[in-house]
Amino acid sequence: MAEPLPLRQPLLQLPSWRWQGLLLPLMGVAVLLACSQGALQVGLQDWWALLRGEPTPGAQVLWQLRLPRVAFALCVGAALGLAGALSQGLFRNGLAEPMLLGIPSGAVCAVALTLTAFAQGLGGLPAAWRPWVLPLAALGGAWALCALLQAVARLLAPGAVLGLLLAGLALNALAMAVVGVCTTLASDEQLRTLSFWQLGSLAGATWPVVALLASALGLMLWGAGRMAQGLNALALGEAVAAQIGMDVRRLRRRLVLAVALLSGLAVAWCGLIGFIGLLAPHAARALVGADQRRLQPLAAALGALLLLLADTAARVLFIPAELPVGIVTALLGAPLLLVLLRRAQRELGGAW
Amino acid sequence: MTLLQLDQLGLRRNGQCFGPFSFALRAGERLALLGPSGAGKSTLLKLMSGELAGERGRLLMQGQPLAQLSLPERARRRAVLPQSHQLAFGLPVELVVSLGRWGRESPSDALHLASALAWAQATHLRGRRYDQLSGGEQARVQLARVLVQLIDTEAGLLLVDEPLAALDPGLQLELLDTLTCFAAERGHALVAVLHDLQQALGGFERLLLLRQGQLVADLPAGKAALPALGELFGLRLQALSLPEGGWAVAAQRAAGCVVGCAKGYAA
Repeated sequence: MAEPLPLRQPLLQLPSWRWQGLLLPLMGVAVLLACSQGALQVGLQDWWALLRGEPTPGAQVLWQLRLPRVAFALCVGAALGLAGALSQGLFRNGLAEPMLLGIPSGAVCAVALTLTAFAQGLGGLPAAWRPWVLPLAALGGAWALCALLQAVARLLAPGAVLGLLLAGLALNALAMAVVGVCTTLASDEQLRTLSFWQLGSLAGATWPVVALLASALGLMLWGAGRMAQGLNALALGEAVAAQIGMDVRRLRRRLVLAVALLSGLAVAWCGLIGFIGLLAPHAARALVGADQRRLQPLAAALGALLLLLADTAARVLFIPAELPVGIVTALLGAPLLLVLLRRAQRELGGAW
Repeated sequence: MTLLQLDQLGLRRNGQCFGPFSFALRAGERLALLGPSGAGKSTLLKLMSGELAGERGRLLMQGQPLAQLSLPERARRRAVLPQSHQLAFGLPVELVVSLGRWGRESPSDALHLASALAWAQATHLRGRRYDQLSGGEQARVQLARVLVQLIDTEAGLLLVDEPLAALDPGLQLELLDTLTCFAAERGHALVAVLHDLQQALGGFERLLLLRQGQLVADLPAGKAALPALGELFGLRLQALSLPEGGWAVAAQRAAGCVVGCAKGYAA
């Protein structure tokens, strides 16, 4: 059991030194592994060439393909891990994932609509804008679903977390129905793009996207750190949290927004990637306990590590073909979800 | 000094009318809410804590409408010990207790924390995880969290919602004693929803009797309250003098119940 933190804390608390000490070398090894493996093997001499600015093929692959992709995987994984930690706190349930809110499906729905229903308008845009259209649509979709979810949940069951959850389920089904309609109407090429979004892949990594994602992630980590103690209070129940003087509704609003932003950002450039938001916070909780101030940074770090490993496996397993990384995370995560379900059932009995 | 003033406060909830309630609570007073299940005791307590807003009427705390006080200001003046002790995650005990100081952290918090843990006799639970504690230990930790909230205030309000029902009788009396002493030392008013008549008559000075969402009696605790209590619960109550002084209540089912019950109350 880790020593509890004192009440006043710096805004962003790094995990206790033991895990930090173990995580950093692990992360380094994973990065080196991910960079070296692939259709073209990259060795130490290519790193050296990259540092000296020699344009060898290995150095170019490293700079233009591998490194941005590794950085991308780390950022997206961290965003998903943090989103998971936040939504588990928000729903007061260790099994709650952002997917549960239906937020990623809102993003996919927006992408599907943009691809098919608004295909005409898409063709009329300048070529430089086109790569940004779908990610923006995804982000907008996540936002829209989130706002709608808030409104619907407040109308149907004000203040109740279960109401929010079920409203998310209904909106999820609705979004997926719209995606289904779009799929039916889509051309073959549109279908391929759509299935990329639904399966998730990190192949679209470029340095500008990585920079954007990394700065957004930094901001979100800071914001999440400020909400950490509020999330701890929320674990006591919404009524008790209000009695100790917390503005529960404001915290809930901010949390839903943060979860939407984080998972929307991740979905925007790489499609649906499930289970990282479940696995990372869960492992983090097992290591440092449930205190959100410790949990958040570690969940983000573990999410980054997990997604990097999963993406490397997705690239390397069937060279030259590449699996969508969403398939790898689902293969790893779904059985673990069943194990966790079994444990929750055993701990809480029929009441669960 | 009037601490809390309910003025025609009432609301409709799930098709049932609660109130209007009108009464005043003085600082330092000990008030027990009694009534059959579903009589609206918890609802009245939630109205008093501000968790439920009244649809009509006013609720004044020290002369000011409660709704006009900020959330931290309300938290400084009133604390609620809830019915359920469930926590979503296994947080450390110190963290749970320290959440009682939400939004007004100060250098003396460590001192307050230690003192609240000592009051609740939970000092030995430091360093443990909440979800690994027994029900009684969890109750102590929750009590410490509530006490730390009002530990540096005078003339506050302590609201207690049947928190003791699931605990063993020894622990019930012990925690109730702690609450009473703590409230007396600081001039806090103590309001508790109770089921045990002996506890209500022994530890409290004023009883509010509720039935079907309405206030039916507001009377001092004592032998004189027995007929009203008996009528409320359909019981025949008797005061028995104890050999060492004081008295206890004996309850029997009132006459006139169905014949099939006859064996039950003869025993």
